[in-house]
Amino acid sequence: MSDASDDFDDYDQGSEFDFEDESFGGSDYGDNEGFEEVKPESTKLKAYEVAHQVLSTADIQQRQDSQISQVASILGLSRESVTVLLLYFKWNNDRLLEQYTEDPEGILNKAGISADDDSKKREYKIKPVDGFMCDICCEDRPGLMTFALECDHRFCYDCYKQYITQKIMDEGESRNIQCPGDSCSLVVNNEGIRLIAEDRVYRRYLTLLNRTFVQDNEHLRWCPAPNCEYAIKCDDVSTKDLKTVVPTVQCACGYRFCFGCGLADHQPCICVLVKKWIKKCEDDSETANWISANTKECPKCMATIEKNGGCNHMTCRKCKYEFCWICIGSWAEHGTSWYNCSRYDEKSGVEARDNQAKSRASLERYLHYYNRYANHEQSAKLDKDLYLRTEKKMTQLQSTSGMSWIEVQYLAQASAVLQQCRQTLKWTYAFAFYLEQNNQTHLFEDNQKDLEMAVEQLSELFEKPIQELAGLKVTVMDKTAYVNNRRQILLEDTAKGLRDGRWWYQVEIK
Amino acid sequence: MYKSQNSRTNTAVRRLMTEYKQLINEAPDGISAGPIDEDNFFEWECLIQGPEDTPFEGGVFPATLTFPKDYPLSPPTMKFTCDMFHPNVYKDGTVCISILHAPGDDPNMYESASERWSPIQSVEKILISVMSMLAEPNDESGANIDACKVWRNDRAEYNRIVKANVRKTLGL
Repeated sequence: MSDASDDFDDYDQGSEFDFEDESFGGSDYGDNEGFEEVKPESTKLKAYEVAHQVLSTADIQQRQDSQISQVASILGLSRESVTVLLLYFKWNNDRLLEQYTEDPEGILNKAGISADDDSKKREYKIKPVDGFMCDICCEDRPGLMTFALECDHRFCYDCYKQYITQKIMDEGESRNIQCPGDSCSLVVNNEGIRLIAEDRVYRRYLTLLNRTFVQDNEHLRWCPAPNCEYAIKCDDVSTKDLKTVVPTVQCACGYRFCFGCGLADHQPCICVLVKKWIKKCEDDSETANWISANTKECPKCMATIEKNGGCNHMTCRKCKYEFCWICIGSWAEHGTSWYNCSRYDEKSGVEARDNQAKSRASLERYLHYYNRYANHEQSAKLDKDLYLRTEKKMTQLQSTSGMSWIEVQYLAQASAVLQQCRQTLKWTYAFAFYLEQNNQTHLFEDNQKDLEMAVEQLSELFEKPIQELAGLKVTVMDKTAYVNNRRQILLEDTAKGLRDGRWWYQVEIK
Repeated sequence: MYKSQNSRTNTAVRRLMTEYKQLINEAPDGISAGPIDEDNFFEWECLIQGPEDTPFEGGVFPATLTFPKDYPLSPPTMKFTCDMFHPNVYKDGTVCISILHAPGDDPNMYESASERWSPIQSVEKILISVMSMLAEPNDESGANIDACKVWRNDRAEYNRIVKANVRKTLGL
């Protein structure tokens, strides 16, 4: 599979991963050494996929190195100085080259590099100096080891080490560790740090450097999964595209997430709506449930009212409107026959109920989508359980039916597909909540319905007792393939819709 | 463990003695400082003159400096022992100024590391900073909120209180 996204150098990266999940398509992590290459049916990405690569720490290091070499050869500076420059310019080559050609001295100065560094490259050395007294600890015994940068702010080795260690370990600084000398802005570069710092501190320094490299680059993002050390590179997506694509990427650790916002896979819903939805749910859901069950609104000012006792003659605290709790009609029309409230068809009562119905309907609508969303989220939380049970089932199946390990893998596959589909379904409800009703939306809802139905069927199959399950292998496999297919159809259609601007939202998308 | 702690203390004492010598030899204007007791170099007393053209003018303000055992890695604390009405001085006299905050310790969450304490700073620089702080309060990070309010809204009243304190320190 060729990789369209590689505008860097042509080193072969990713060869240490043997992760390839062809059933989901599009996960391209390079060659699988030692395995026969699996050729996917089509090298073209589906509409809902984005090209991306997984980078290991070594790859990131390599990329940094190659960028440094590239710039160093253009500018004719030492690698150490170029590193400092690149850090100062947040790894933005173009900006660096442009500004440097305009004012080399000024830029070197600003970035904290001694201007005469490169013409007669100085070697950093830890050495004793005669008659020296350290300005920090005031130690002046002969043979004291000292260190200084080009600025000649010389301190004893111990104090310097202490200073560097504090900067790196306590403050987490890597980009801009300046000379400890008073108001000196010269930066202690990689070479200096390596010379002075202990091993563990230097390692930490390199980790921090790698981190800034990824953080500063808009085409790179760390995988947010716990303990995962990979970064994802995705070139085709920039922030302004996020309204029309959902750039979902998969890390070598298996975690799927959105490159745009870093949240877990939320296809087919776009990032803005995801944020709105999550916020709405945090604010609203339970409260809305309770309101719906326990309150009515004042027909005049729409204040939410909980009736906690007394008769049906209500007087709104807020607007002083008097109404009947039973029919929501104006109290004036009840006269003295208020007790059985026979005024069902009174005009004002009907109108008031209409109004009430409208605001209830919007609540109901939200709850409709929320309940379905929450249901799938709950199911997703049970995924771990499900998977453990699957594993148990597989061992059982192996011992009872005499099937081999490879033959029962279809259950693991089914479980994985089920989990992924629930994740997708969950977000279809958030997406649908914000969609304007039109013919396009009907198509979307049909797709959603089909997927929902297929998922339920597969889920049902999955719960069957173990004896039956053995005989259902082909059925389960068929269903799995079908479900996965439905999911792809839904995602494909939504993604195309996003690209073509086919969806209309009830809220404004900024 | 003992050894390293001892050597730290030795470093601190050596450094404090050097600073003391320097302060005696080339005392800057308006500042004097030294240990209260020559047996304990970790407690200093200092006097700061009120800067000219400010309501503090004419006053001499006593304060104590308390040094930690790992000085100069960590900064000392400074506390005025007279009445001090100033936006950046707590009501108990403790001075709140960025140079006295260790890196990583930022009570007001806005100071850059470069303004804060580093081992290359010194007693002399602290006292000079405090002097300029007296002249130009920073009301964005107030330690004494009342003083901040008065300083911002009613400068005449602020000047009056400060001048009263000046007279008090002079024993008038």
